[in-house]
Amino acid sequence: MSIQQPNTDAKNGSGGSGSCLYDLLCADPSTNWNCHQRDGYTSSSGPQGRLKNLLRQSGNGICADCGSSDPKWVSLSLGVFICIKCSGVHRSLGVHISKVLSVNLDEWTDEQVDTLVHMGGNDAVNLKYEASIPDHLRKPKPDSSIEERSDYIRRKYELQQFLFSDEMMSCPYPYPGFCSAFEKKHSEKHTGGHRIHGLGQAFRNSWRRKESEHKTTKKSNSLAGMIEFVGLIKVNVVRGTNLAVRDIVTSDPYVILSLGQQSVKTRVIKNNLNPVWNEQLMLSIPETIPPLKMLVYDKDTFKPDDFMGDAEIDIQPLVSAAQASENSSIREPMQLGSWVASKDNTLVRDGIITFVDGKVKQEISLRLQNVEKGTLDIELECVPLTQ
Amino acid sequence: MGQAFRKLFDSFFGNSEMRVVMLGLDAAGKTTILYKLHIGEVLSTVPTIGFNVEKVQYKNVEFTVWDVGGQEKLRPLWRHYFNNTDGLIYVVDSLDRERIGKAKQEFQAIIKDPFMLNAVILVFANKQDMKGAMTPMEVCQGLGLYDLKNRKWHIQGTCALKGDGLYEGLDWLANTLKELKATGYSSVGPSSF
Repeated sequence: MSIQQPNTDAKNGSGGSGSCLYDLLCADPSTNWNCHQRDGYTSSSGPQGRLKNLLRQSGNGICADCGSSDPKWVSLSLGVFICIKCSGVHRSLGVHISKVLSVNLDEWTDEQVDTLVHMGGNDAVNLKYEASIPDHLRKPKPDSSIEERSDYIRRKYELQQFLFSDEMMSCPYPYPGFCSAFEKKHSEKHTGGHRIHGLGQAFRNSWRRKESEHKTTKKSNSLAGMIEFVGLIKVNVVRGTNLAVRDIVTSDPYVILSLGQQSVKTRVIKNNLNPVWNEQLMLSIPETIPPLKMLVYDKDTFKPDDFMGDAEIDIQPLVSAAQASENSSIREPMQLGSWVASKDNTLVRDGIITFVDGKVKQEISLRLQNVEKGTLDIELECVPLTQ
Repeated sequence: MGQAFRKLFDSFFGNSEMRVVMLGLDAAGKTTILYKLHIGEVLSTVPTIGFNVEKVQYKNVEFTVWDVGGQEKLRPLWRHYFNNTDGLIYVVDSLDRERIGKAKQEFQAIIKDPFMLNAVILVFANKQDMKGAMTPMEVCQGLGLYDLKNRKWHIQGTCALKGDGLYEGLDWLANTLKELKATGYSSVGPSSF
């Protein structure tokens, strides 16, 4: 599978000539994202600073629902700090139950932080919503499945089964009818919150079964929608040199880039063994960073495209350098690292990671593999996105 | 061989490609919609930090759909996906009355961008199954769609969890694209810019 990306060449790009993502973000008055993070992010004044202080309070250092450390998301309406996985479940409940904001990716107002302060943090809120968890139920752990989280979070906030009150003693009676009646009442209230609508015991059973069926059928896609990205990589596919001949005397080359599940491709340049694409493509970087793969093909109209070589790059050093520079206050241009050319790798020359104008970049020249000849020049830029 | 045959087939039967960017405020349901269309299932999702991109084959059109994260500080990234885009799918959480003003503000900024002037606009008023959700009509008013001049737009009430309305929306996109192509439309942004 290959997918074409909008042509984001800097000359035609939305940001005007010479623009980059960093400039774009900094120049845009509606955000002070990267610049903000570099300059005054850790100061304790302002709503963002107050929020950071709140995060340091005891109890707020772990997810209120599963106990994962360092939660980066907040349910503003419920007053809890939660992890990204639990935030996904909270969002599925609907804004009338849980309004989810990101600590770092949303702009906070003082009023919003006041609301959060007023609710007392994770410990205080859990005292209320987890007053009486029945013995047979266990609170999710950081590695719990999404189904376990979903079940627990719905019971906790939507059905409010663990509140401490005589009326809602979370069913101390062994009669199924009692619980059923309770769930019936509440599931009717929010039928839209979940895709399977049913009542009482039947509701619970069918829901469980459906979930396990899903597990087996969607295995190949089980990660889709749940991938935690750590940033974007902008790849400028500059040029190919001395590429292989696949038609009679020449080729119609294009490049496919893939990173994990995502792939994008450049346009086709006709009849050229030294094509200059100069085309910028973007890919999302998953948390466990896979190698960046490049495949060169010759476009044919009436038969399958011919292979013209491939190459692979480990982008981990670039991502690490970008993440380190994000937290650093140094603004001078410097060399952050390099990938040294040798007989054992595919580099034509050293791939140096540089930090210039707030951008972490790496220029790489690669010998294509599994083909008789050809090199590929690319430029990488990593834009870390802090959750 | 199979691929060669498909290529021949496509060239005779006018299969077309359409590039679509799907935007909207955070938690509107963009990723859920993308995977409901791509694999036909409702997946559990986490907030998208970055973007997802998948192909959706429907009737004679191969849609390539970019689903870009909607958190406030990710919105400046949206502009990066505007160039060479045939269509915009703007997703609204119909239950979120409090933020319809914000949704309008972001929507108007997108469609006024010089690179989006030729893009057709499909609005999904999502989460129609929820009690108290705004009707598509209300969302339409909320976004200021009625005031749009010289734009092709369509609003569709949807429920991504059930799949309701999604293919009706794609139908409109596909038909509109074909009409425009027949009248010599190009998806490339304004060349003078």
